[in-house]
Amino acid sequence: MDTSRSYLEPSSFSKKMAAAIIIVYAVITLIPISWMVMTSFKNVDSAISYPPEVLFEPSLEGYVNLFTNRSRQSQEYLDSLPPPDNWYEELVRSREMVITGPSKFLGRYSNSMIIGFGSTFASVFLGALAAYAFSRFRVPLKDDLLFFILSTRMFPPIAVAVPIFIMYRKLGLGDTHLGMIILYTVVNLSLAVWLLKGFMDEIPKEYEEAAMIDGYSRLQAFFKVVLPQAMTGIAATAIFCMIFSWNEYAFAVLLTQFNAQTAPPFIPTIIGEGGLDWPAIGAGTTLFLLPVMIFTIILRKHLLRGITFGAVRK
Amino acid sequence: MNVKKKFKGLSDKAVGWLFIGPTVLLLLAINIYPLVYAIKMSFTNFYANKIGREPQFVGLKNYIKVLNKEAIWEKMQVTASFMFWTLLLQAIIGLGLALLLNRKFKGNELLTTLIVLPMMLSPAVVGVFWTYLYNPQVGLFNYVVNFFYDLGSFDMIGSSTLAPWAIVIVDTWMWTPFTMLICLAGLRSVPNYLYEAAEVDRASKWQQFIYITLPSVLPFLLLALLFRGIENFKMFDMVVELTSGGPGSATELASINLKREAFEKWKTGYSSAFAVILFVTIFGFGNVYVKVMNKIKER
Repeated sequence: MDTSRSYLEPSSFSKKMAAAIIIVYAVITLIPISWMVMTSFKNVDSAISYPPEVLFEPSLEGYVNLFTNRSRQSQEYLDSLPPPDNWYEELVRSREMVITGPSKFLGRYSNSMIIGFGSTFASVFLGALAAYAFSRFRVPLKDDLLFFILSTRMFPPIAVAVPIFIMYRKLGLGDTHLGMIILYTVVNLSLAVWLLKGFMDEIPKEYEEAAMIDGYSRLQAFFKVVLPQAMTGIAATAIFCMIFSWNEYAFAVLLTQFNAQTAPPFIPTIIGEGGLDWPAIGAGTTLFLLPVMIFTIILRKHLLRGITFGAVRK
Repeated sequence: MNVKKKFKGLSDKAVGWLFIGPTVLLLLAINIYPLVYAIKMSFTNFYANKIGREPQFVGLKNYIKVLNKEAIWEKMQVTASFMFWTLLLQAIIGLGLALLLNRKFKGNELLTTLIVLPMMLSPAVVGVFWTYLYNPQVGLFNYVVNFFYDLGSFDMIGSSTLAPWAIVIVDTWMWTPFTMLICLAGLRSVPNYLYEAAEVDRASKWQQFIYITLPSVLPFLLLALLFRGIENFKMFDMVVELTSGGPGSATELASINLKREAFEKWKTGYSSAFAVILFVTIFGFGNVYVKVMNKIKER
């Protein structure tokens, strides 16, 4: 019978109400993020006008300021220069300044990339090995080991930062890419092992046993049969590790200064004349948050599964 | 029948240790060793910036100093009230949103993704851009508040009564989606036959909510709050960039104070003792909480 609506199906009115409230919440929650993106396209004056400007003439000043260092010059000096070669130089000169060189942003951004990808690869690889062993073999003290791995996540980073700082200074790992990659790998390992163990548990043992009967060794079976099967889980875990490394601040600010500093400690230091240069900070923030937002939207299924799945397992 | 011996290559036992070994070694080297080192230093008067000066054993002096310091208890209070308000708000709003999203309307999945965005962002960078939103002269937050209710000029970060709320608002904005997602997982795990049986028994919607929905989602909610509780006890990055603990020490959470003692005053021995106390506190509370949570689950 068509009239029998399921008992459990909410009425269409209550669905509409729910949708309306959720949409309002989503809009409110997205305002701060959209505002930062909008600010990145304002010029310095319109970023500090009150009431805040919702409609404004877009400008790339923030992005130009983000990528360059500038110095203020007298009008006579500016007049004595040959005409500007390109649009960004023209923009800077209209502010009575000249470009003195590229800023550190690109370097910090690529540090974030190197350290992020390096540590993600390492923690997913090591995590997959350990997860497989925990999932398949009889390991002595298995539960204790697993809890030990999890408990390392409870330390406040500052609590271990001083010893790591001293240790790294002795080993020459302070302010290096390698040092930060090792550190983030370790911080991510516990999560990687726990998440991946859940995914490995779901892969039937029979797959690799069949492969081994066909003459594969255990190692070959792992790399050629199990790993490809676990790709979804590996992708989800990798995203989490990447997001953590990309966003991490406490260790980065305490252990790096010049060589290996990542973007999060750098962005707050972007200062213009007379206070913070909001369009440039907006531009830095936008470029920094963009990869994560794109990732989140494209890979939402894995991601949402990973969050709830990891939590429910623990 | 022992078939496994016939397979070629390393034995399972060897592969097992080969696979687990690197992880355990790395955790021991970069996590456990520093922790033991910190515990050792907490009994000395070591200053990490004075190389060459032999640290001396001072017994429990650092611990006594930390526990007798009134300022430390103030920081603990700031941390506790930050945790109380953020967890309360995130529990209520997160559960509410999850209940609404569970109605499976059209566009549900896309909206979930959009709501989740804030928690994917870098807390430090979030802290920086909220200083702009909270700016008393040009901030969007202040403008919106004044648009609805004329407060005149107010400074969320500069006032010691408002600053604690400033960090609570940002944390709630960022992390409510986390509670929401976990609760949603809980709601989706409730088997349909429970509701069908309740309908047969003519239980009202309200009764179904109280006797079926709430008890099934509660363990999930408590779990989400455990994770958020641990994270917020350690909270550092967002608050440092937003208020840097100020004004005065109105928002100086335990971790921020720890960083000041350890990396600005370089009192390594003293700050290690403080770190150990924090660690024991979080572990103790965590354990009790998990026990209570398991009791509730069993009921």
